[in-house]
Amino acid sequence: MTYFVIFLGVCFMLGTLAVASNPSPYYGVVGLVLASVVGCGWLVNLGVSFVSLVLFMIYLGGMLVVFVYSVSLAADPYPEAWGSWRVMGYGLGFVLVVCMGMGLGGFVDFWKIGVTTVDSGGMSFVRLDFGGVAAFYSYGVGLFLVAGWGLLLVLFVVLELVRGLSRGAIRAV
Amino acid sequence: MNPHAKLISIMSLALGTSITISSNHWILAWTGLEINTLAIIPLISKSHHPRAIEAAIKYFLTQSTASALILFSSMNNAWSTGQWDITQLNHPTSCLILTMAIAIKLGLVPFHFWFPEVLQGSSLITALLLSTLMKLPPMTLLLMTSQSLNPALLTLLAVSSALVGGWMGLNQTQTRKILAFSSISHLGWMIVIIIYNPKLTILTFIIYSLMTSTVFLSLSQIKVLKLSTMLISWTKTPMLNSTIMVTLLSLAGLPPLTGFMPKWLIIQELTKQEMTPVATTIAMLSLLGLFFYLRLAYHSTITLPPNSSNHMKLWRINTTPNTPTAILTVLSISLLPLSPLITTLV
Repeated sequence: MTYFVIFLGVCFMLGTLAVASNPSPYYGVVGLVLASVVGCGWLVNLGVSFVSLVLFMIYLGGMLVVFVYSVSLAADPYPEAWGSWRVMGYGLGFVLVVCMGMGLGGFVDFWKIGVTTVDSGGMSFVRLDFGGVAAFYSYGVGLFLVAGWGLLLVLFVVLELVRGLSRGAIRAV
Repeated sequence: MNPHAKLISIMSLALGTSITISSNHWILAWTGLEINTLAIIPLISKSHHPRAIEAAIKYFLTQSTASALILFSSMNNAWSTGQWDITQLNHPTSCLILTMAIAIKLGLVPFHFWFPEVLQGSSLITALLLSTLMKLPPMTLLLMTSQSLNPALLTLLAVSSALVGGWMGLNQTQTRKILAFSSISHLGWMIVIIIYNPKLTILTFIIYSLMTSTVFLSLSQIKVLKLSTMLISWTKTPMLNSTIMVTLLSLAGLPPLTGFMPKWLIIQELTKQEMTPVATTIAMLSLLGLFFYLRLAYHSTITLPPNSSNHMKLWRINTTPNTPTAILTVLSISLLPLSPLITTLV
């Protein structure tokens, strides 16, 4: 279990490094998918299976859209993968940053992370994260309304930013 | 901007601010901050000019980074202590990360570069919102957690804010940038006292909001964005220009005016806490700010501009009176005799 969590953590780090080392967008999205899949697996290991499922579906759903947009907007004639020197330079720099962070933050403390979970009730109990969803609809309804309004506000903001074909924010200057 | 969209933005600004300043739980405070950030973006990018879009993007990137850091610090705190109370921020790492996050949100010195750029890209009224209303939620969070933050770090941030805010404003010619740097150095004054007397922080924030609102509203009344326009603006409303001069001196903190009160009380409190070197340093550093306030004041009241006298023709334009500006001007000039009452009320 512990080794599996550590493996997932290393894969998550590699996925984020693959995005952060700045390859072409349609290679970068591969790293993003890797990081999200592994991160959701990590959450399952910590015992929050429902939240992990929701994250998995929404992240991958959102990221497919991002993928389509990035491919259609940024069609490079010479795409750069992680083999090119520039991307490799960024990647090595970020690996150095990660190593420094682990050296400073103490990597050893994180070995115990797989043992403790949110609730140790097993499969037949209602899990805490799923209970939280139910609580959202009963006594957490105010918070739920605020969160819903926040999401609606994002929609309004995006529409207001891109409204007006030639006057909007997205245009060729 | 579409009135409906503007209504949605302004209502959400009010919602986000009130959620954050009234919450006692980190998640709610974070939700309010996020709603605030999202709601101000259409107001910044209102003109759809490339500079305004750039300002909106800069604002969004810095604020979302800071919000993520706030969420991270509170989660870290909840992981180690098992509760989400804002006032019970006990984990040392969380305290450090929260201080950094709030510094990014407010534009304190190592993280201040976004603030003048964003103000420069937005209109004067949005700049007023950004430098008063949008500072209220992070300032509240800082006040609520102030008893567990690191005093040395906060003092360092505060003194460097006063230094850099005064210093970088020296060579500016754009009024919004000058007011941005003035905001940064005033934030230094608010932060330096937050450990020892949080009520003085609130007082300084209120007085600063009054004075900077007056300046922003007056400048938007005479439509002045840079010093060279300020030079020839006296023909529009001569009386307003002379009150701008006095308000700017109040903002600089000269004695018979309102702006002297917070500086006076802060220096007194710092001296009582045996922090005379810090008090002396920050008082000397506010002299840097006095230079650009004086230059603005000089430009606003200059009666012999280096132009031909044809510019006098603006003299007879009908201007609509602006009641809020008048009230705010009176408040930001003449509140000093009321300081015992105000210190009791705050």
